[in-house]
Amino acid sequence: MSSSDGHAQTPRHPQLAGHFDTIGQQDYAARLGMWLFLGTEVLLFAGLFLGYTVYRHFYHETFHHCSRALSIEYGTTNTIILITSSLFVAIAYWAVKVGKKPMALFMLALTILCALAFLFIKYLEYSHKFEVGELPGKWFRAEELMKYPAANMYFTIYFLTTGLHAFHVIVGMTVLAFVMKGIISGRYRPDYYVPVELGALYWHLVDLVWIFLFPLLYLI
Amino acid sequence: MAEATNTAHSKDKPHDHGTKRYFIVWAILIACTILTVKTGYMDLGSYNLPLALCIATLKATLVVLFFMHMTEAAGTNRIVFVTSFVFMLVMIFGVFGDLWTRSEMSLPYHTPTTEGPEIAVPEGATPPAHHE
Repeated sequence: MSSSDGHAQTPRHPQLAGHFDTIGQQDYAARLGMWLFLGTEVLLFAGLFLGYTVYRHFYHETFHHCSRALSIEYGTTNTIILITSSLFVAIAYWAVKVGKKPMALFMLALTILCALAFLFIKYLEYSHKFEVGELPGKWFRAEELMKYPAANMYFTIYFLTTGLHAFHVIVGMTVLAFVMKGIISGRYRPDYYVPVELGALYWHLVDLVWIFLFPLLYLI
Repeated sequence: MAEATNTAHSKDKPHDHGTKRYFIVWAILIACTILTVKTGYMDLGSYNLPLALCIATLKATLVVLFFMHMTEAAGTNRIVFVTSFVFMLVMIFGVFGDLWTRSEMSLPYHTPTTEGPEIAVPEGATPPAHHE
């Protein structure tokens, strides 16, 4: 089947870009692009996880004692918040596909609320770290942890990984807000929902990264 | 042609399942979180980390398969995403090969350094001025 015949008589889908022949082809390209992007995101965090692995190997005891400085309660709460927000996004995606517009909007609003709750708890954690001086590099001044070699490296890795993750939470929130806007305006409907799917995929990746960060930083 | 069939698949299949599977996956994820926190408090010696990583991998697999709909994704997308994990493992285990086989003297804490809080340099670790 050649690409250009047979489409002249059928009306073009309103969201179909000029350089695609069919909406199926456009969806396929968009999905592949998103999965490729998610692959590079995995590799981005992989570099940080590698740094973690190396320093933890060298300073095993230090990492164990420094992880005790984190609040497992906050970490667990944030894990549950993110997993639940992933559930909300998954339901929102389903709701858009089956045409339940109010439900989709409600679920996305809940997701953004979860993201805000996550960031608020992160803020509480960070402000405590700033107070007691459990900070990266030369700013490290937590006396009770000074006796462990390279204790500041633990907090360098802590702030780098959780900071980059928190940045992803903010980006994810923004993406989902734009998805909500598209649903309200009627742009994303049961016959055109791929942007909702891609936004949801991004949010699930944020959850995915946290699933590994939580045990590695808090529970060692 | 291949594209057409793949997108047709991913478009036709998901319409029939409701939200039940999402709730089941969510319940398993929460249960796994509680399990990993509980085992995190226990002292299992060297088993703590592998256990935590196994639980995390199980959770991640569930998220990828059901929340991210990898079960319905086109074959190309599966290959793309899984390949990134393969290369992540190559990178981490490649570096591990180095870490496991290093000689004592090449470890970073044997080198006196000016940065960071006092790093204890063992007495015997200073290199000899000359050798026979």
